[in-house]
Amino acid sequence: MEFNKQNLIRVIESGWVNFKRNSWLAFGTVGIMVLALLIFAGLVAFNVVSKTAINSLEEKVDVTAYLKTDVSDGEAQDVAKIIGEISGISYVNYISRDQALEDFKKRHQAEELIQQAILELGENPLQASLEIKAVDSREYASLVSFLEKSSFSGLIDKIDFYENQTVISRIQKISSGLKAGGILVTLILSVIAVLITFNTVRLTIYSQKQEIEIMRLVGASNWHIRGPFVVEGAIYGIIAGLAVLIIFYPIVYLTSPRIQAFIPSVNLTAYFTGFFGQMLILVFSLGITLGVVSSVIAVRRYLKI
Amino acid sequence: MIIFDKVTKEYNGTLSVPNGHAKRGGNQGNNFIFRALDGVDLEIKDNEFVSIIGPSGAGKSTLLKMLIREEAPSEGKVLVDKINVTDLADSQIPFLRRKIGTIFQDFKLLSSKTAWENVAFALEVVGAGPDQIEDDVSKVLRIVGMEGKSQNFPHQLSGGEKQRIAVARALVHRPKILLADEPTGNLDLLNTYDVIKLLMKINEFGTTVVLASHNREVVNSAGRRVITMDKGRVVKDQEQGKYAI
Repeated sequence: MEFNKQNLIRVIESGWVNFKRNSWLAFGTVGIMVLALLIFAGLVAFNVVSKTAINSLEEKVDVTAYLKTDVSDGEAQDVAKIIGEISGISYVNYISRDQALEDFKKRHQAEELIQQAILELGENPLQASLEIKAVDSREYASLVSFLEKSSFSGLIDKIDFYENQTVISRIQKISSGLKAGGILVTLILSVIAVLITFNTVRLTIYSQKQEIEIMRLVGASNWHIRGPFVVEGAIYGIIAGLAVLIIFYPIVYLTSPRIQAFIPSVNLTAYFTGFFGQMLILVFSLGITLGVVSSVIAVRRYLKI
Repeated sequence: MIIFDKVTKEYNGTLSVPNGHAKRGGNQGNNFIFRALDGVDLEIKDNEFVSIIGPSGAGKSTLLKMLIREEAPSEGKVLVDKINVTDLADSQIPFLRRKIGTIFQDFKLLSSKTAWENVAFALEVVGAGPDQIEDDVSKVLRIVGMEGKSQNFPHQLSGGEKQRIAVARALVHRPKILLADEPTGNLDLLNTYDVIKLLMKINEFGTTVVLASHNREVVNSAGRRVITMDKGRVVKDQEQGKYAI
């Protein structure tokens, strides 16, 4: 049978009719595909959460070098400039003693006792400091040893990296662990999802093995037999994709505030609303591919003439 | 024109069948060879009406299966319209089958399609247009007297009704050759007579009909060429035959 418009329409119609008449089998197959696609969508969400969480945690990590109280503003600025020129440093922020006091006062505005204590003290008890942030959190260790050995180490009173060191290395471990684990979990679950979907579609088609045999005996070409099944598979995919979007978005909407309460920088609702088009394409193309590929492989097994 | 040229069909099997069934072939250890056809030479001209008779297992069905390449011969050649069916490439087999209408003993209707769709399928396969399908299917369903049940599924039809649909499907694309393998095996006398009348009418319009049957009434009412088979061989070939076994 040659490939023309009339045959194409016929094959699509026939696939749609098969789908309607196989509604129970179709229901099961679509159910499995929905599960598979939900796993994919869930993995996307998981990746978003872990990535944003790690980024926000890493952003919070920095090194603060407190300067001795006798260091002048000018000297401090020079040091800041030198450090800022080291590669791998994303920025250096100089906070003068006055600025530190200002910030301190602002932070404790409501606490009268502290305000009074500062007033009674007469002079500024705070040190000037340099907030240093590196592009990669692994740089901090070498940055600290550089600061300790540098010519201006005499100006530095103390570096509070050591207090953060355990936190930093723990975040790094979690971060790389999550990335590797996420990829592994994604791989394993996708293989399982594909196998289950394939098997379900195969069973659906197996139940029509005799029909395929009869079509062959009546002289139907392979394309004529396979076409409706492929269309049926694509319809499974489209419906499964639709169901996934209908299930997934409310879940995101409901869980997003909870996750945000836990990790403030993660806003799943905003993320998935922003990427709705991409999610739509991703879910539908995955669903259709899954349905079509499974059908093609399954029918092929019964089309040996 | 159909020609069978020294056609032999053998099946290999292991000895799970009682010995008596395997006596036609050689018996070597646990393996035996079952010879369904044994050097069949046969020629069927265009527009002939041929009945093939013989007891169960005589090779009638195997002979018909060769014509649509459902089975390939172990030895010999089968020619349909000068085409050697034996050498046909897989991709060419559907074209052979579209030239031939087949009525199967067990109907072989598509259970997920309605009566109308079953008949229409044979036309879709040959690439007919929607208008032609609409016209021809209705016409053929009227001929076999099934126009009232065209929207029924096979499981909603009786044996006789299913067979009429099967006949309609075999006819609708106006094949040059019509094969009927025990088309009346599941029918009562009245339905049997109707089907045979139908086959003869089709033959009058110029279609070669090959009818395999072990039903005396069927063959005698046709009163045409009768080929008698037994144990995979053609034992008798009469131009104006009667059922005689």
